[in-house]
Amino acid sequence: MLHIPAPDPFTVFGLPHSLDLDERTLEQRYLKLSRDCHTDLNRASDAVDCVAVLQRAAEINDAWKVLRDPWQRARALIELRSPGAMERNKRLDAAVLAAALELAEEVAFAGAAELPRLRERLQQALAADFVTVRAAITRGDIDDAARRWHSSHYHKKALADLEAKS
Amino acid sequence: MTSPSVPPAPRLVVGIDLGTTNSLVAVRAGKGARVLRDQAGEALVPSVVCFHPERGLLVGREAKAERLACPDRTVFSIKRLVGRSASEVAAEANSLPYRVVAGERDLPRIVVGDRQLSPEAISAMVLQRVRGIAEAALGTPVQKAVVTVPAWFDDAQRQATKDAAALAGLECLRILNEPTAAALAYGIDGKQDGTVLVYDLGGGTFDVSVLRIDDGVFRVLSTAGDTHLGGDDFDELLAQRILAQLPAGPDPTRHHPFVLQSVRAAAEGLKIRLSSEPRADLQLDLGDRGQATLTLSRAEFEAAIAPLVQRTLDCVVRAVKDAGLQLGEIDDVVLVGGSTRIPLVRARLQALTGKVPHTEVDPDLAVALGAAIQADVLAGNDRSLLLLDVIPLSLGIETLGGAVQKLILRNSTIPTSVTEEFSTGVDNQTAVDLSIYQGERELAKDCRRLSAFKLRGIPPLPAGLPRIAVTFLVDADGVLRVTAREQRTGVEASIQIVPSYGLTRDEVRRMMLESIEHAHDDYTAREAIDVRNKAEALVRGTQKALQLAELPPDQTYAVQKAVKVLAKLLVAEGTATATLKAACDEVSKATATIADDVISSAVTKALREEPQS
Repeated sequence: MLHIPAPDPFTVFGLPHSLDLDERTLEQRYLKLSRDCHTDLNRASDAVDCVAVLQRAAEINDAWKVLRDPWQRARALIELRSPGAMERNKRLDAAVLAAALELAEEVAFAGAAELPRLRERLQQALAADFVTVRAAITRGDIDDAARRWHSSHYHKKALADLEAKS
Repeated sequence: MTSPSVPPAPRLVVGIDLGTTNSLVAVRAGKGARVLRDQAGEALVPSVVCFHPERGLLVGREAKAERLACPDRTVFSIKRLVGRSASEVAAEANSLPYRVVAGERDLPRIVVGDRQLSPEAISAMVLQRVRGIAEAALGTPVQKAVVTVPAWFDDAQRQATKDAAALAGLECLRILNEPTAAALAYGIDGKQDGTVLVYDLGGGTFDVSVLRIDDGVFRVLSTAGDTHLGGDDFDELLAQRILAQLPAGPDPTRHHPFVLQSVRAAAEGLKIRLSSEPRADLQLDLGDRGQATLTLSRAEFEAAIAPLVQRTLDCVVRAVKDAGLQLGEIDDVVLVGGSTRIPLVRARLQALTGKVPHTEVDPDLAVALGAAIQADVLAGNDRSLLLLDVIPLSLGIETLGGAVQKLILRNSTIPTSVTEEFSTGVDNQTAVDLSIYQGERELAKDCRRLSAFKLRGIPPLPAGLPRIAVTFLVDADGVLRVTAREQRTGVEASIQIVPSYGLTRDEVRRMMLESIEHAHDDYTAREAIDVRNKAEALVRGTQKALQLAELPPDQTYAVQKAVKVLAKLLVAEGTATATLKAACDEVSKATATIADDVISSAVTKALREEPQS
């Protein structure tokens, strides 16, 4: 089951619940938080404090893992806006599955010469997927955002298969 | 509490590189770090322990020197056995001259005479020697250390290393990954921002890590490696060639400890020469077990090791890919470990990365130097640096059907934690069993089972109703900690951990009380008795001899004086063994300087008449 830890990653970083975060700012923030809170620089004498410092450091690392990746960030945001949305919208309709299957075959049978063009196509498709997810979140249709998030999985999978091939 | 205006006195934490072949210790010094040396000026302590039948426990160079004389009592490469099971190391143990058997819970035990020792205990002896060198060099007790391990070490191997440190009387503040330590040694002030690839080929293990240095923050992006690939394997390939030159004989001869140790030593020498010379000759005389002559060119050697070198390069490619980078994005390549002295290794790595590898820091010392820097950070003396490391292998739990559900993915920055909910399968169930696995494979049988957890104290409720939140937290050492809480009642479920490898907590506690201190005490006690017996015999013997030999009074006086001192010390309470030993030497000196012919023979005769104890 998907588990969004409490406090959520945005809160850990002291940032608004937003999909659009500047990556460089995010990274700077991560480094600063790490410096401020890491166990190495904050060795508490008390055993209880030690665990608390350790948990805080883990929280920061785990939040960074989610926030740095736009797709993970989107998923966290969807769950925050409507808990359980990801699980509720897992079933995809037949048309999406058929297209996914076709894509998988295309990747499997593609010759070396076709790979660069196929890669570019998939990357563009993923970028387009992200735009639709963002749009759904913006207009508040979280269930649609979750569905679109799930269906983008097949583009990611095809791209991963393609990279494994080359 | 210290008030913030008064800076606390610097606390001492040393950095220890506990290597497969050699170990060493370093300490922060100014902006950098320095290795600590023994009285002979040596920094490297061979990670070798010899249980000498007469001389007792020997560690380091002294032990290594005995490896041919006492092949079955000299233990080396123990790092390859630490944190593993006897079955896992069985094949390897076969080619070792000392005996390894399966003990309780299939843990390897090293057999020396009538004693059986855990790999942790052997490692502890090496650590204790290293600690002694640090104490002598610094003139102060050393109780805290950062100890390095290969990045690719799993949970069990890390825990075993921590246990070894505890057995050596050291509080291990951090288990630090070797390549990360090396990166610290290179980018000491963290001013040089960039992406660094550390290639660490040691005696027994290979690691590669990709790091980003960002304003004093050393962030590991990925790590890959092989815990069983290193200089020892190159030696083994050469050893096979040498063995093939020996006359065909019965197998027991080939497996004889003396033959194995001699061939290994010869192979290592050959390898080292081939790193600087185009060809090398070997003539090995094993007495009645035959002779081997071999001429090997560097090209032949390189052809033999090429597949192993390729394996390291595959790891490099994987690590760079896992870091989400292209090879071209690596700014610097750093070499660590003695085996990076092999020209082929350097050439192939340079060809792959397109970068001339850095070799400014001695590859044997870099890890210890980096450990010393991190030690100083942990001591609270330096707040300018920060290390963010990763877990090398994924952690998961076994689910129905023997599959592994990954909870924490490899290359996750540590500390990291994940909380998972579990429930019960039958009504009024009050305990749940969980098995933790580490590895990348999908099925439990292909991963390493780290430990079994039993959650107890679950409130008796209908099946499926309890909600037990189990938190898996990997600390900064890369070691897993598990806590559990029943969500409805808030009851903290108790957890009983049975590690699959290494020692249980109780065993560590017990051994800390017994093993090491005792091993030392036993040896000290035995030595004390030996010296006392010798002293008593010397007093009686010399007195008798003085009666037998007619000596001029001035000469008798010198001897008598020395004997009297010794006799007095023998009667006195709590005379130190060393003092007694010194007094014995005085008597011997006194008798030696006078009328050797007369008195020495008389003493010898008198001593011979002493009943043997």
